[in-house]
This record gives sequence, C-alpha cells and structure tokens, in this order.
Amino acid sequence: MSLIPARFILIALPILVAAALLPLGVSGYILGLLTIAYYFAVFSMAWDLLFGFAGEVNFGPTFLIGLGAYGAGILNNRYGLDIPLCLLAGTALAVIGGLALAVPALKLSGPYFGLVTLVAVLLLQNLIVVFSDLTGGEIGLTVPDVISIDADTNYWIALGFMTVSGLILTAISRSPAGLILQAAGQDPVVAGALGFNVAKHKIAAFAVSAAFSGLAGGLIVFYMGTASVGTLIDTSVGVQIIIAAVLGGRRTIVGGALGAVFLIAAGELLRPLGSLSTFVVSAAALAVILFVPTGLLGLASFRRAS
Amino acid sequence: MTVAVKPPAAATVRAEPCLTVRGLTKRYGGLVAAKNVDLDLRPGEILGLIGPNGSGKSTVMKLVMGLEKPSAGSIRLDGTEIAGWPAHKVARAGIGLVFQHARPLMRQTVLENIVLALLPDSLLRLTPDSSVTDRARAIAERVGLGAVIDRRPGTLAFADLRRLELAKAIARDPKVVLVDEPFAGLTGPEVATFSALIRGFRDEGKAVLLVDHNVKSVAALVDRVFALYLGERIAEGSAESVMADPTVRRVYLGGSIETAARPEAAFKTESLLTVEGVDVLYGKAQALRGVSIHVHEGEFVSVVGLNGAGKTTLFNAVSNIVPHAGTIRFGGQDLARMTPAAIARAGIVQVPETRELFGDLSVLENLDLGGHHLSKAQAAKERDKLYELFPILKAREGQSARTLSGGEQQMLTIARALMMRPRLLILDEPTLGLAPVILEQLSKALERLRQTTPITVLLGEQNVTFALPHADRVYVLEQAKIVWEGPPDRFATEMGAAYL
Amino acid sequence: MIGLQILVDGFAISALYALGAMGFTLIFGVSGVLNLSHGALMVTAAVAAWAASAQYGFGSYAGAAIGVVCGLLGALVTYFAVVAPIERSKAIPRAEKEIFILTGTLLWGIMIQQLVAYFYTDNPKTVLPLIEGVVELAGVRTPRNEWFTALVCWVVIALLWAFVNKARAGKVLLAASMNPRGVTLLGHDMGRIYIAVWAIYGLLAGIAGVLLGMFLGVSSYSVGPLTASAFSIVVLGGLGSVTGSLIAAYVVGYLETATAYLVSPAYRVIPALLLLVAVMYLRPQGFLGRR
Repeated sequence: MSLIPARFILIALPILVAAALLPLGVSGYILGLLTIAYYFAVFSMAWDLLFGFAGEVNFGPTFLIGLGAYGAGILNNRYGLDIPLCLLAGTALAVIGGLALAVPALKLSGPYFGLVTLVAVLLLQNLIVVFSDLTGGEIGLTVPDVISIDADTNYWIALGFMTVSGLILTAISRSPAGLILQAAGQDPVVAGALGFNVAKHKIAAFAVSAAFSGLAGGLIVFYMGTASVGTLIDTSVGVQIIIAAVLGGRRTIVGGALGAVFLIAAGELLRPLGSLSTFVVSAAALAVILFVPTGLLGLASFRRAS
Repeated sequence: MTVAVKPPAAATVRAEPCLTVRGLTKRYGGLVAAKNVDLDLRPGEILGLIGPNGSGKSTVMKLVMGLEKPSAGSIRLDGTEIAGWPAHKVARAGIGLVFQHARPLMRQTVLENIVLALLPDSLLRLTPDSSVTDRARAIAERVGLGAVIDRRPGTLAFADLRRLELAKAIARDPKVVLVDEPFAGLTGPEVATFSALIRGFRDEGKAVLLVDHNVKSVAALVDRVFALYLGERIAEGSAESVMADPTVRRVYLGGSIETAARPEAAFKTESLLTVEGVDVLYGKAQALRGVSIHVHEGEFVSVVGLNGAGKTTLFNAVSNIVPHAGTIRFGGQDLARMTPAAIARAGIVQVPETRELFGDLSVLENLDLGGHHLSKAQAAKERDKLYELFPILKAREGQSARTLSGGEQQMLTIARALMMRPRLLILDEPTLGLAPVILEQLSKALERLRQTTPITVLLGEQNVTFALPHADRVYVLEQAKIVWEGPPDRFATEMGAAYL
Repeated sequence: MIGLQILVDGFAISALYALGAMGFTLIFGVSGVLNLSHGALMVTAAVAAWAASAQYGFGSYAGAAIGVVCGLLGALVTYFAVVAPIERSKAIPRAEKEIFILTGTLLWGIMIQQLVAYFYTDNPKTVLPLIEGVVELAGVRTPRNEWFTALVCWVVIALLWAFVNKARAGKVLLAASMNPRGVTLLGHDMGRIYIAVWAIYGLLAGIAGVLLGMFLGVSSYSVGPLTASAFSIVVLGGLGSVTGSLIAAYVVGYLETATAYLVSPAYRVIPALLLLVAVMYLRPQGFLGRR
C-alpha cells in the first residue's frame, strides 16, 4: 500500500499544473477567490482527517482556526513580530488549544463530544468580543504585515500550501499510523484488543488537525490583512467547512479540497441572487447529504471498488 | 519444490499454568456478573468456558482481556498481575481475542487488515515495513486465506471473515488465545476446518480458551470444560464428566418431567400460525435455515434449544422484526407486509428475553400501557384477573418496575403482554437467570393460564424441565435448524441424552 | 429595585426559554434527534405572526394563531423532508446517522434563515403584543405583555405535564422516550409516535416563537443564538429530561438576566456558557440526564 498512489498523481498532476498556470490568463478577482478557496480546502482536509479517520465529529473546527488566526494576528498587531514567528506561535496556540479541548473531551461519548466542540467555538467567539481592545472585537483585527500584495504571489503560495498539506494529510491517512487511526475510529474496542492505545492516536490526530487548521488560519490572516469573527469563527463558517468535506466525500482527504473549491465557486456564481445564494448552496448540500451521502469523490471510488 | 511436513506435535500439557485467575469478581451495580471465579489455563491446552446467557462467561473473557475492570480478584499471566490493565496493554503482553462480531476495515484488503494487527503501537510510523507484509502473508496462508489475500472483506464469505479474525488474533503470536463462540454461523465442514486450526494453536504450545453456550458444540475440541451459571462455577472437568454432572444437567435440562400433553388431533385442523421454510441471515451468518413450524389455536407449543440455536431469531421473524425469506401466516393472513407494531395489534404478542419493561414507570403504569386499547373498566377487570395469576404484582403495584426482582419483572412482563389479550403469546426464555423457587411460581402461573383460558402459547426455552410439562408439542431447534418434532413424552426417550 | 427587576425579567425570559427547550429535549428523548433548525422554527413562527398581523392585515390574535400554525407545519416538514429520509437511508451507516441528522438540520435551519431574510429582510421585527399597558409593582414598571408571556408559557408547560403524566396518549410518549422497543411490543407504531412528537414540538416552538416575537422581537439573525441557547439549556438539564430542561432554563435565564443588569448586556451569555463548559467536563449527563 503506497503512501501516494500512482493514479492519484496521474489525475492530480495535470489539475495542479493547470491551476498553477491560471494567473496567466485570469483576473485578480477570481485569483483572490481561489486563494481563499485553497485555504478553506486545508480546513476541510484537516477536518476530514479527524472525522473520516479518527471517527470524531468536530463541530467547531473554527475554534482551532480562530486560535491560529488570532494568535498570529495579535502578535503581529500588538508586538510587530515577523510573520513566520507569528505563524509559528499561532499554530502552537491552535495545537495547545486543540489538545486542551481534546484530552478531556475524548472521554465523552455520543453526541457530547460534538457538543463540546461547538461550545468551544461559542466560548471563543464571546471571549473575542469581550476582550475587544486586544482582538478588535466584532469589527475585527487588522494586521500591519501581509505576505504579499501581488495577487499572483498570494495565489501561488495558497496553491502550494494546499498541495503540500494535501500530500502530507493524504500520506498520513494512508500510512500505518493512518490505518491504526481508522481502526480506532471504527471500533475502538477491537482496536484496543489488537494492542493500540486508542486515546493516544486520537489525540495525535487532533493535534495534527489543529496544526494544519491553525497554520492555515494564520496564513489567511496575513493574506487578507484582517481577521474577524464573522469570516473565521462564526458557526456558519464551521458549517461550510463540514459541508465541503462531506460534499467532496468523507474519508478521502482530497474530497475536502474539491468540496471547498466547489462551494466557493458556487457561492460566487450565485452571487447575483443576493442572500438567496446561501440558500441555494445550503439546499444543494442538503440534497447531497440526503441522496448522495458518499459525496462527489465517494461516487467515483465506489464505482471502482464494486 | 518441497512440501514441508510438520512432525506431529507432542500433545503434552505442561504442569504450570500460564494464566491464573483467582477470586475474579465483577459487579455492575447490584448485579454480580462473575463471583469468585478461580481458573487455570495451561500452555498446550484447550479449555471450554461454558454457560448460558447471563452465566458470566463473556464477562470473564472481557475481564481477562482488559475490556472491563474487575471489581475484585487477580489475573496473572506467567506470574505478572494483569488485572485492571487496559486492553491494549494486555494484548501486547501476549493475549489475543477472536471477537464474535468484529468488523474488519472494509476499505482495506485482507492483507492490510492482517498487517494492522502486526503494527507496533507507534504514532510515527509513516512507511510500512516490508518484513511486516511478509509475515502477514505467512499468517494468511496459515489460516487458509492465501487465495483471497488481496480482496476486500465485503467480497468474502462468512467463514473467511471468521478466518480473518483468527488471523488478527494470532498475528503477534500470543501465549493465550481467547475465542468467543468459535463456531457460530459456520456449517458442518467449516466447523471441522476451524477445529483443526484451533488444534494447531494448541499443538504449538498456546493456551486456548473457548467461550461458548453449550458443551456439545465444542466437546470434540476441548481438553477440559469449565461450566458457569449465574456467575459461579458449577462444574469442571472433561467434556463427558461435565455433560453428565447432575448440577449442569439440572441447570440446562431441569429435573424429572411430568407431561400433560393434549394430542394434536384435539385442536382445529387449520393452524393458527404457520411458519414455512424461513431463512434468516445476519450479515453473512445464517441464523435460521429452512425452519417450518405450526401452532394450532389453543395449543401450547415449546421450541426447545440451547442459547444461540435460533429461538429468538425465529420469534423475531414471526414478529417481522428481522427480514427473512419464507412465508409466515397468522390466521390465514400473510405477515410479510405488516410492521411489528401491527402484528402485535393483530394478536401476536411477544415477551422477549430482554423483557423491555419501562423501568421508571410503576407496575400499574406498565400494565395499563399494555391495556391501552381497553376502556378503563375493562382494563381494571383484566388487571384483577392478572393479579390472581400473579399475586405479588398487586403487592408491588405502586413500585417502579426497575426496583422489582428478576422473577417479579418476568411476571410483570408476561402480565403486561396478557393485558393485550393476545391470540398468540410468544415467551422467549422466561426462565433465564431466575432461581428455582421463582421457576416454580412461573410454572404454576402458566399451568393456571393454560387451564383457565383458551390462550395459544409458543414458548422458547433452553430449560427442558420448564418447557415440557405444559407443552402439547415440542420442536427442537439446533444450530439454526429444526431437528426434531413430537409430543413431550417421546422427547425424553428420543432426544433426551443427545440434547446436552 | 434592580433585584426585583431581575426577578421579574428573569422569570419571563426563563419561561420562554423553558418552553422552547422542553420541546427540543422531547424530540431528543423520543427519537434521539438534536434538531439544529430549532431557532429557525421559532423565528418562522414569529415572522409569520408579524407578517400576518402587520403586513396582511389579520388581527393580532389571528396573527398569533397563524404564527403558531406555521411553527407546527415547519416542524412537520422538518421531520418529513430532512430527518425521516436520513433515518431511513440505507446509504448512511448507523453510526453516522446522528452526524448526518445534525448537519442536515443545521443546513435546513440556514435555508429557512436565508428565506426569511430574503422575503422579509433581516431587520428586527416585533409582533404586536396581544396585551398592552404597563404594570407597576413596588416601584418597578413592567409591560403587561411580559406577565402575559410568563403566564402563557406556564399554562402550556402545565398542559404538557398533564398530557405526559395523565393522558393515555401522553403516557405512551413518555414510555416511548424510555424504551421504544417496549412500546412497539405493545402494538404502537413508532412512526406515528414520531409524527405526534414532532407535532407537539412544533406547537411548543411556535408558541415560544410568537411570544418571543411579541416580547423581544426577532430577526433572521436570531436563528443561530436561539438554537445555541436551546441546546445549551437542554444539555445542562440533561439530554432527554423534560424536567431538567425546565430547571436549566431558569438557571440560564436568571444567569443571563442578572449578568445583563449587573455587569453589561454584552457579557450576557458568558456565565451560562462557562457553566455549560464546567458541566460538560464534570457531569456530562447534565443535571437530570438519563441517556
């Protein structure tokens, strides 16, 4: 079982090359949209590692993203530290926060784990509003530094980040560690009887998911130049991440990327409809959940397996 | 190409046990699932841990594997105390468990599933080790999966899925192998192959513990049997001696039997309930094979069989709770398209093994829920009739069902079902876990019921002493098939000895 | 006199929370579903009542009735169009059904929210109160409407209690929440029971929504916070325990009101949230939880 299967490279490579060439002919506006989409793709892929493999539903991925984003942003805004340092700190904060949440929460079963993750988001949201002199409150935080002002550069950085993240996350999911994680998620009792410390593996998965989410969150802040509750932490953002992963196909990692790009593209295409655009996208996502629960990628791999 | 021939292994059993269990006890609140169990398991020996549902055999197995923590007692593996260790630590110490209902990873191949069992518990292993894959292949060959090694579990036959579970359990060469219900769902020839595999483990010097419902199915394979009932040891020794042990026979078969059967001709010729050629599959395992029975109106029919034979499955098929092939007709009406609730309303009321009482509601409220369709006056009359049948329920009328004893709960469940004025009452193992004194009371109540009302009863029981005295006809269900039918007095002479 | 103000306001707001939460937990207790479109249903009822009386010229009583009916219909549509298909679906493995229902109802809630915003804008709307005027009590002035809200809530709560504990149909519902298999054995179709429970839930959410609309007003933005507060209360009280939700609603209602008056309205939600976090870790089954 190879870490990155050959057919995966055969299909993905041309798509990535085409994507890399886009800036040559496409407007800055669309590039900007895709840049955001690529960062969302990382959010969704990280979520799928946790859900599709460890079997844990994280209803508040934005808790981790918010910690990474605000951690990096505040350090830059308040103390003027360099971007790489801020990113590192933000990621570390996301991982620490994720572990603080995961270690006690994994002892809970059933719907309680999901509820705890949702509560964490609400708490973060309210804390940000309360400590508004530090965080910018509801208006948001602006950061003095950005990665680049050139749309092309930002686009390529996002594309590159998404590709590398996707490769690493896919490799993890297909590695022996990923196999153990899947067993732990599917049937923790049997996994324990086979000699695996299930809690340890799930916590590790949480940490990895947190690291990628936090880092992506920080990168988005330094791309957009701002961070706010509405764009990064609100439950509606979390829902979009989950929908993207489910839409693209859970347990595939790559599906999350597809779903994210699809959602952002669809949202943009439907923009002329005004507030109805969210309605249409939500309705489409609901239809997918009802009729095609394996998602877009799930359809393709299902045909192959049977 | 040379074929390696293994010399026959010496079947010597070393004197010192590798697994020593002393005073093992497990309490779940007020329920004692295992009481002071002392057990020795030696390398190169196959021990059968036998008992009906609720005997504690599964609990003991889980305690040894670390899936549950003991309330008291010691478990030593080669001298090291492992009681209370988490399962993954116990597994790494050298105990493997073959689950009865494990699910393999469906999106990975058989080979990858076995590789999983060989992996160290490490977070950082990102690349697979080639020696691991080679070992996995060898293990697959050994259990007979060589031909399907690259297929996904979804495409495998049931017996091969069981082989996969065997492979995973022995992958790391454990000293002790625990097998939960080794032959459940397997056909005759498959049982023979599996027995050979398990014997192979023993011959290598492993200690094997088989957990099963009854001695008969594992008698040919085990060296020794340890019988449990209600959490305690009731017999230990060779398979023959345990099967002949008077306590064991009383628990499974009961004492002497007096029958009071009415001949079949005394009933209407048209059957009330006909079950024809019913097959039930649980996943890939066949739980019922071509089962046909019939019950006349007013008749009392007992279906006798050990745990796991398929009685509950049969009743669930009648109530349409499980999908099945074949036809089931009640009063001429085909039940296939009816929901379980509709079948209950039509007059077939089940009293399941699990009772399904409303724990937080009182005895009175439970009864009233059964009499839901009756007017208040009618319900009161029915209740009074039932209080005559089960006087203890009247005394406990206001208590919540959860606080009743096992026997009282069983009586309440039967009474609640009778409130529905059923045409056919199905009783599934009503005596399970009850003390002999309670069985007497239940038996008397059934006697009165049979004498004073024209009720039709279908009783599923393992306890022959309970099942036979009231029956007009008896069926014997064994390993998913009906193997005998006849009046109760012929049962003792034709089936009796062979039953256990 | 702030103490009395907190007492009165807290009482009314808690009663409103209780009504919504009790329906929410009833659904969970009987069918295991956490309906994340709860807030959307309440807002639908409120906006329907507002539209009926303010825009289409029905009187305030008729408008309120229409609002409640919309709540009822909304709940039934949620059951038939979203929840039941997912429960029946063969393509979704059993272990994941819960997550799919959560995501499905969440999406459904968003859809309703966007529709309301589209047709009626996202500006806050206040439904015309049925009772006007002000009551003066020991120096504290409260609108009669507030007392009316609390009264109606408690009447409905009492009716619900009487139904579940005294009426035959209600006892079947109670039994179903304890043991669905037991109830099927006694000849009751769980399918019909589910429909009945969702209908009751729809009525409760509808009444709570209309009252909320009269008391504090709603907008399409209220959808999220309403769902969030309902499930916080339900989790605190214990998933599936109707009595627990009642108690938790009062705890949360008073915590919020006290914080709003004594500290600042912006921090209203924080103490309740912290309590929720503490309970989640120390006693995840809530005050009176069973399942």
